Amino acid sequence: MSPIRILTAVPICDGHDSAINTINLEFIRHGIEVIYLGYHRSARDIARAAVQEDVVAIGLSTYNGGHIEFFGEVVDLLEQRRLAPPIKLFGGGGGTITHADAQIMYGHGVDRIFFAGTPLEEMVKYLRGGYGDVARFPYELAFAGSDQFLSRQLTLADNGSGLPPQASETASAASKRVRSTKVIGLTGPGGAGKTTLIDELVLRFLHSHAADRRAAILSHDPSIVGSGALLGDRATMIYSQHDRVFMRSIGTRGMTGGLSLSTDRCLRILAESNLFEFILMETVGTGQEAIPFGVDRHLVDQSVLVMPPDYGSRIQLQKIAMIDVADVIVVNKADLRGARTALTEIESRIRTNRKGQSLLCTQANRHRDTGVDQLFELLFTGTGTGTDTPK
Amino acid sequence: MTPLGQVVLAIEEYRRFVVSQIRKARTDHEFGQQILQKWQEAKARIGTTVTPTGLRLPRLALPDLDEAGEIARFLCEEGLPGEFPYLTAAYPEQYLEPAAINSKENENRRNHEKPFIEEPTRLFAGLGLAEDTNARFHYLSRNQRSKRLSTAFDGPTLYGVGAAADGVFGKIGEGGVAIDTVEDMERLYAGFALDQPNVSVSMTISGPAPILLAMFLVAAKHRFGPDVGPKLRGTIQADVLKEVQAQNELIFPIEPSLRFLADMVDYSSREMPRWYPISISGYHIAEAGATPVQQAAYTLSNGFAYVDYFRNRGLDVNVFGPRLSFFLDCGLDVEYVALARVCRKIWAIGMREVFGGGNRAQILKLHTQTSGRSLIAADWHNNLTRTAVELMLACMNATNSCHSNSADEPFTTPSEEYARYAAHAQAILLEESGLFRHMMNTLPGSPGMKVIGNAVEEAILEEFREIEQQGGVLGAVERRYQRSQIQASGHMLENQIYDGVRPVIGLNRYFDQGRDWPEVRMMRTQKEQKRLQLDRLQDFEKRHAEESERCLDRLSEVVDNGGNVFEELTRTVEHCSLGQMTERLCEVVGKFRPMV
Ligand code: B12
Repeated sequence: MSPIRILTAVPICDGHDSAINTINLEFIRHGIEVIYLGYHRSARDIARAAVQEDVVAIGLSTYNGGHIEFFGEVVDLLEQRRLAPPIKLFGGGGGTITHADAQIMYGHGVDRIFFAGTPLEEMVKYLRGGYGDVARFPYELAFAGSDQFLSRQLTLADNGSGLPPQASETASAASKRVRSTKVIGLTGPGGAGKTTLIDELVLRFLHSHAADRRAAILSHDPSIVGSGALLGDRATMIYSQHDRVFMRSIGTRGMTGGLSLSTDRCLRILAESNLFEFILMETVGTGQEAIPFGVDRHLVDQSVLVMPPDYGSRIQLQKIAMIDVADVIVVNKADLRGARTALTEIESRIRTNRKGQSLLCTQANRHRDTGVDQLFELLFTGTGTGTDTPK
Repeated sequence: MTPLGQVVLAIEEYRRFVVSQIRKARTDHEFGQQILQKWQEAKARIGTTVTPTGLRLPRLALPDLDEAGEIARFLCEEGLPGEFPYLTAAYPEQYLEPAAINSKENENRRNHEKPFIEEPTRLFAGLGLAEDTNARFHYLSRNQRSKRLSTAFDGPTLYGVGAAADGVFGKIGEGGVAIDTVEDMERLYAGFALDQPNVSVSMTISGPAPILLAMFLVAAKHRFGPDVGPKLRGTIQADVLKEVQAQNELIFPIEPSLRFLADMVDYSSREMPRWYPISISGYHIAEAGATPVQQAAYTLSNGFAYVDYFRNRGLDVNVFGPRLSFFLDCGLDVEYVALARVCRKIWAIGMREVFGGGNRAQILKLHTQTSGRSLIAADWHNNLTRTAVELMLACMNATNSCHSNSADEPFTTPSEEYARYAAHAQAILLEESGLFRHMMNTLPGSPGMKVIGNAVEEAILEEFREIEQQGGVLGAVERRYQRSQIQASGHMLENQIYDGVRPVIGLNRYFDQGRDWPEVRMMRTQKEQKRLQLDRLQDFEKRHAEESERCLDRLSEVVDNGGNVFEELTRTVEHCSLGQMTERLCEVVGKFRPMV
C-alpha cells in the first residue's frame, strides 16, 4: 500500500514553525509521507505545490492571525482546479483559532481544526481514519495539459513502484531519442547544495525564456518502504515556487543509489507531456559508489555532479565513481576552504579521463553568482564553456 | 580557532585564576590583609534602610565572611553588584527605593501615581494601526515614571512586505502594529516626548530593522528637529543570527543582512549615541523549544560573533560594546534560578579577555520576558500564577528591564484588562512586596543557586566547544547546527508534555475545567482598519511616485558601491514605503534562502 501523502506549511508572514516541525515528525513516525513547504508561504504557493505533489490533504499551522481569510483563499484556489478527489484542508494554531473561527472555516470548506492542547496522536488518528485509502483515478482527457492531470499520472506511476520496471523502460536508451524535453540530472553528496543550485538555475530560466515556457523538477528524498518520509526540498526553494515550474518530490521507498524504482516512468511522463523545455532531476545525496543515471546515463541527456569543496576530508577523490561519468562537474560553495585544492584535483582527474567533461566552480548561495551563470549557459543554451578539458 | 574558542579558553583560565587567588589570599599574608580590608571597605559603604514595619536593613546583603580565601572566592566568582564579573548584578543598585522614603525631605516624592523607583517594566504592545498602538502605549505608560514603549509589529511589517502585497490582507495589524511608511511611524509615537530622557522606545524587528530605524529617526526629526538623533533612547532588535536559528524572519541573505546591520551600528554609534542598535536575543530561541542552556549558549555565542564581525569592520569595541544589549526568556525550568547571572559572567569575561572591552563594554544589560510558551489555553487563568513565578525568577537574576506576559497570551494580543494585570504583577513584586525594594541580593547566594549556576556554566561551555568544532558560530549556522538542536528540543518538549513527564496543570493533570472554549476577549483588527492601512499606503506611494524610483536607484547604487546603506535609508524612507525598499534590496542582494 502506498503511504498517505500530505503537504504541510505555515502561511505567509508567519514564521511560527515549532508546532509544525513537531507535527511533521509525528506524522512521519506514523508512516505518513509529508511534503513540507516551510513557513511564510503564500496561498498560491501552497495550492500549487499541493496539486503538483498530488497530496490528499494540506495541513496548515497558523499563528499570526488572518487565518479565516488565509484558509479561505487556499480552499478557493483548490476549488478552481476542480480536483478529484478534492484536497482536504486541516490545521491548527494553538489558541489563536477560536471555536467560533473554526465554525466559520468549516462553513468555507475547511475539514478540521485542532485546538490548543490536542494530543499529537489525535492528529495522526484523524489522518489515518480520513485518508487511509483514498482511491485515485486518472483525470479525464479534458484535463490534459493541466498540472493535476500530470501529477495524477505521476502518482499512479509512482504507486506502481513496488513492481519491477518493464524491460522496455529500463533499456530506454531509445526512449531518450523520442523526447523533445532535455533532461538534466544532478547528483552528488548530501550538503553539496544541489537544491540551491537547481533553484538558482530556475531563476535564470525564468528570466531568459519566454513566459509560456515551463521547466520541471523531479526531486528525490530518501524513504523506506512502509514508513513515512519528510520530503523537504521544496521548503528551501525560492524561485521555483512559480506557475512556470512544475515540481514533484518522490521518496526512494527503499531504493539505494539515489533514485526511486519509478524514476524512469516519472521522467517519461514528464518528458512526453511536452509541457517542459527542461527537466531538472535531483537525486538524493549519494555515496561515493553511486552512478544514479547509469553508466550509459540513459536516463538523462546531461549529467551533473555537484561536489562540496571539502569532500577531500571525507572521501577520497579516487573513489568517487561519478567523476568518471558526469558530463559536468561542479564544485559548489566555492567560498569554503579547500575549493582551490578540489578544483586542481578534479581538473587533473578529468584531464586524464579525456571524455570532454566540463568543470565549473559555483557559489550558489551568492546572489547573481557568475559561476551559476556559466553553468546555466552550459546546460540550458549549450553555448557556455566551463573549464573545458583539452579534447 | 574562532573567537568563541578563545572565550572558552578565557573562561577556563579565569577559573584557574580564581583558584590561585583563593590560595594566595590564604597563603600570602599581605594579600590576605588587602582582601580583608577591601571587604571591610565595601561593607562600610553600604547604606541602611528602614522598612515600613520599622526593621533596619542594609541596602546590600553580603555573605557573612571573615576569611580572606572565601572573600576572594566571592569577589572573583560573583562580584559586588556592578563589579566584575557582574554575576550579582550589572549595576550597584537595582529596584531599590530611595533610602529614606519616609523622611521629610522625601515628602514631595510620595506621589501616589508614580512608583518611587525607575521601574524595569517594559510591556511589549502592538495591535491594529499606528494610532491603536499609540493609544495602548498611552494607556500602559500612564502610571510610569519612565515611559518605556515596546513595539510589536504585525507579520507583513516583520517580513517587510507592504500591506498591499498579494494575500496578506488578513494579517494587517494582527499580532502587532502595521507600519508601512514614515508617516505611520510618526503616528505610532505621537504625544510622546521622544527627545526627553524618561522616554525610550523599543522596536522588536530584525529582518527590515535598518529600514524601520531609519523611519523612526526621520519621523523623530520631523517632530523634534534635525538635531534630535543624539537624544533618542531605545533599542531595535536587529538580531540576524537568531532569525536564522529560531524566528524565521530574515529577508536578505545572511551576509548582506550582517552588512546592513553593521552599517546601522556604525551610524548609530556616531549619530545616536544613546541608542542600542541590537538586542541579542535568546527569547525566540527558547520559545522555539530550546533548553535554557541552549538558549544561553546560542545567544552568548551569537553575541560574540557580532562583536567579532563589528570589530572586523573596524568598529571600536569600546564604542559599540556598551551599546549592545541582551534579551532572554525566563521560564519555569530550574535552570532559570541562575541562568541570566551566569550569562552576565561569561559575557564579562569574554569581552574583557578576548575582545579587550573596558568596563562599560563588559556589562551584559538584560531585558527579560517571561515565557509565552509556558502559558496555555487550558484553564488559562493559571497563567497569572505562572507569569508571577517567572517574574520572580527574572528579578532574582537582576534583569534590567522586563516584560511580563498577559494571561490571555495563548489566544490573542493582550486585551487592556490582562495587559494591566501583567504590568501590575511587576508592581506587586517590586513595589508592594518587600522582596526587592529594600535590599540588593536578598535571595541570591543560596547553595542551590550556586550549584545550579555552576552546572549551567559548564553546560554552556560544552555547547560553545561543540559550536567551535563546527567552525564557530557562522559555520554552525551554515550547517544548521543550532536549528537542528532547537528543533530536537522542541520536539522533546511537546512529547514530554503529552507523555506527562512534564506536568502542566490543567493540561496533563488536574482537569478541573472541561474542554469547552473559554470566554476570551479576542483583539482583532477590523476589515475597515485594514482597508484604511491599504488606502494610506497607496496614497503615500502615489504622492511620492515621482521621487521614489530615483531614491530606490540611489539606494541600489549605495548597496553596490559599498557605502553606508543605513545612512542612505534615512533619505530613502522619506519617499518610499517599506515594501518598495525591501523589494528593491532583494533585487540587489537576493533573498534569504529559508532554512527549515
Ligand atoms: C512559540 C511562540 C513564538 C516563537 C516562535 C518560534 C518558532 N520558530 O515557532 C517566537 C518567540 C519566535 C514568536 C514570535 C512571534 N509571535 Co509568537 N507565540 C509563540 C507561542 C508562545 C507558542 C506557540 C507554539 O508554538 N506553541 C506550541 C504548539 C505545539 O502548541 P499549540 O500552539 O497549542 O498548538 C497545538 C494545536 O493547535 C495543534 N496545531 C498547531 N498547528 C497545527 C498544524 C497542523 C497541521 C495540525 C494538525 C495541528 C496543529 O498542535 C499543537 C499541539 O496540540 C504563542 C502563545 C501561546 N502560548 O500559544 C505566541 C503567539 C502565537 N505569537 C504571537 C505573535 C503576535 C508573535 C509575533 C508576531 C510577535 C511580534 N509582533 O513580533 C512574532 C512573529 C514571529 C514570526 N516569525 O512570525 C501571538 C499571535 C497573536 C494573534 N494571532 O493575534 C501569540 C498568540 C502570542 C500573543 N498572545 O501575542 N512566537
